[in-house]
Amino acid sequence: MSLYIFYISNFLLLLCLTASLIQFGKIINNKIFTRPGVIVLAYVQLISILLSFLILIYLFLISDFNFDLVYFNSHSEKPLIYKFSGVWGNHEGSMLLWILILVLFNFLFALSRRISERFKEITVAVQSIMIFGFVAFLFFLSNPFALNQNNFFDGIGLNPILQDPLLAIHPPVLYVGYVGFSLVFSLAIAGLITKEVDQQWASIVKPWVFSAWAFLTAGIALGSFWAYYELGWGGYWFWDPVENASLMPWIAATALIHCVLILQKRNVMQSWTIILAILTFSLSLVGTFLVRSGILNSVHTFASDPGRGLFILLFIFLILVFSFSLFAYNSEKINKINSMGLVSRGTGIQVNNWLLITILTIVFLGTMYPLATDLLLNKSLTVGPKYYSTTIAPIIILFLFFMFISPRLGWTDTKLYKIIIQMRYLIITSLTITLIISLYFELFNLTEILIIFFSLLLVISSVTASINFNKQNILVRTNLGQNLAHAGFGILMMAVVSNAVYSEERIYNAKVGDNLQLQKYIFSFDKIEQVEESNYNSLKAYFLMKKDGKLIDTFTPEIRFYSNPPTITSEASILHKFFSDIYLVMNVPQDQQSISVRMHIKPFMTILWLGTLMIIIGGIISASIRIGRVDEK
Amino acid sequence: MSSLVKSRLIKFLLSLIIVSIAVLIIIFNLRDNIIYFYGPTDLLKNSDKQGQIMRLGGLVSVDSFQNETDSIFYFSITDGENEIDVKYEGILPNLFAEDKGVVVEGVYMNDGRFIANKVLAKHDENYMPPEVIETLKKSGKWQGE
Repeated sequence: MSLYIFYISNFLLLLCLTASLIQFGKIINNKIFTRPGVIVLAYVQLISILLSFLILIYLFLISDFNFDLVYFNSHSEKPLIYKFSGVWGNHEGSMLLWILILVLFNFLFALSRRISERFKEITVAVQSIMIFGFVAFLFFLSNPFALNQNNFFDGIGLNPILQDPLLAIHPPVLYVGYVGFSLVFSLAIAGLITKEVDQQWASIVKPWVFSAWAFLTAGIALGSFWAYYELGWGGYWFWDPVENASLMPWIAATALIHCVLILQKRNVMQSWTIILAILTFSLSLVGTFLVRSGILNSVHTFASDPGRGLFILLFIFLILVFSFSLFAYNSEKINKINSMGLVSRGTGIQVNNWLLITILTIVFLGTMYPLATDLLLNKSLTVGPKYYSTTIAPIIILFLFFMFISPRLGWTDTKLYKIIIQMRYLIITSLTITLIISLYFELFNLTEILIIFFSLLLVISSVTASINFNKQNILVRTNLGQNLAHAGFGILMMAVVSNAVYSEERIYNAKVGDNLQLQKYIFSFDKIEQVEESNYNSLKAYFLMKKDGKLIDTFTPEIRFYSNPPTITSEASILHKFFSDIYLVMNVPQDQQSISVRMHIKPFMTILWLGTLMIIIGGIISASIRIGRVDEK
Repeated sequence: MSSLVKSRLIKFLLSLIIVSIAVLIIIFNLRDNIIYFYGPTDLLKNSDKQGQIMRLGGLVSVDSFQNETDSIFYFSITDGENEIDVKYEGILPNLFAEDKGVVVEGVYMNDGRFIANKVLAKHDENYMPPEVIETLKKSGKWQGE
């Protein structure tokens, strides 16, 4: 049985390889490769990969340990959902998922209408040559369907910290984001080849780039939320190399979506948009594969194999060389001289583009510097998180200012003082609120105050801008996506700053019966008990949280002892309130009498996630609204 | 030189200057925030590094672990050749044990003792930090493959 599955699944991979090659052949010689048509081939690519992915899921669900991948990453006693998510909890499986999404995007694009045949053919061909490269990589270098000769009775198991419902959906969402930019990249290459990077190009690209961006944002947020409750350190962002690897394409993509918008509106910045499209996709590749390659030393490193990293680095290198030579050759022909006013919305977006690139450089240097010194000087070092916060914070202030002012400016030259006079009430309100906040909470750091002030300005102006009435007093929809996302970003920044300033931590060694204090709350250590679950044993502590003698909630931090593979994890117990989270985590007792408990008060966490959610929804709205938007006047 | 080329050249040079200044500022800030990693032998060679924040890694020496109170601990970190005494106040991670790999972050004091403020945790029982493996390989005490 296993042998049949082995042949069928490998045949499917080869089928996809062939179809992708023919798809690519179409732009080399469309006389030989007329049939089958683009759409038929796209069906073949999709169905072959989809079937092999379903087969892999099936193998995990029935725990067929004749397959290496299942043996190394699954275990018969694992709960069903983690057998399922274990499919992409490893290198080969996640590669197959990556390719599935790549093929899916290709397929959806091939189906789209109102795009010239030639343009579609080229885009699909570029996409297909990438599909070819990745399927070949999968087939030859990391085949998920490799058999073993032994009759293993049971598997090794999935790393317990990956056994988490959120981590079942985090990789697929993140991958949709990363892979979505592959299509944007293909569209950019097609634009370069046909020399048609214009307003029409921008409207074709827009829904794809916005949805990819929204998914990437959601993917990063899910990962961050997972780290917050699973790693048990009370933080949501550690400037860890793996986190940075996903942040870098996000920063580039954020610049990109704004450029696509200017291109669509004003037909300017063609070259820069193309550069950003190439950059975003290259960084997405770096993001996916540095994480899996094991080159990075990170709190998140799981399965890894440095040998494979080489192929990916080579692939990224080829893509960069090819696309930039094409760019150098054709860029003069795609640029059209269209000027923008000096004090205009376009300039504001351009400035913020530069600021984003600066932040990207900061993150890039911080992430790569330790790698470089390790490889070149054989010296191990880490870059402290303070590097990021102190360098990025001043840039964020400027960035928030331009985010606030740019949408208020027109596309042509605008008088700045007129805008400021128009916005005077808004500015005064924000200033007053900031003053009250900083006095009440004794906040005297200038950077923090300025970030809060400009964030407030941004939030209030975005909210008021989205509430627009026409002459008949009917609410009209104006740039809802943009305003929602911008307000969300302002809220996020305020939450980040306040969270950093007001977080509190207490560490106790506690025995049953002890009363521990954190601010105005008392935690009574009620009992500790051992619980046996299907795939782990756990030690569960019960803390009763009281305020003024009244019971508010029960906290149950936990330590889990997994046996397949042998691992210990701490599960935090968190109470989410609107203005702050209370967070308890415990550690294995040093002696048997007491346990160590770490308690955190994390203010504004709910608001922080809320701001992120607004950004994501804003992106989805912008992706789905096609062209005919109401422009504010 | 035509005026177009000239203006482009000026633009290019200007942006080059601005970019290099920005990168310099970033790198200076980077250097201030670097935390170096040492093994015990490396650290003894670099005794001028006293007073800086750094990471130290190796194996926890057998029979070196003591606790003064519930949250103040003493242990030594070894690479098989040299040992450094560590004092740590806080919570020890679940998988902390003698003869297992460990990485601590803190300050190397001038009395030769390391005051740690963080013990970096990993979740996997068999996990060995890559730096520790490197350290053990250097001193010839590495027994893995």
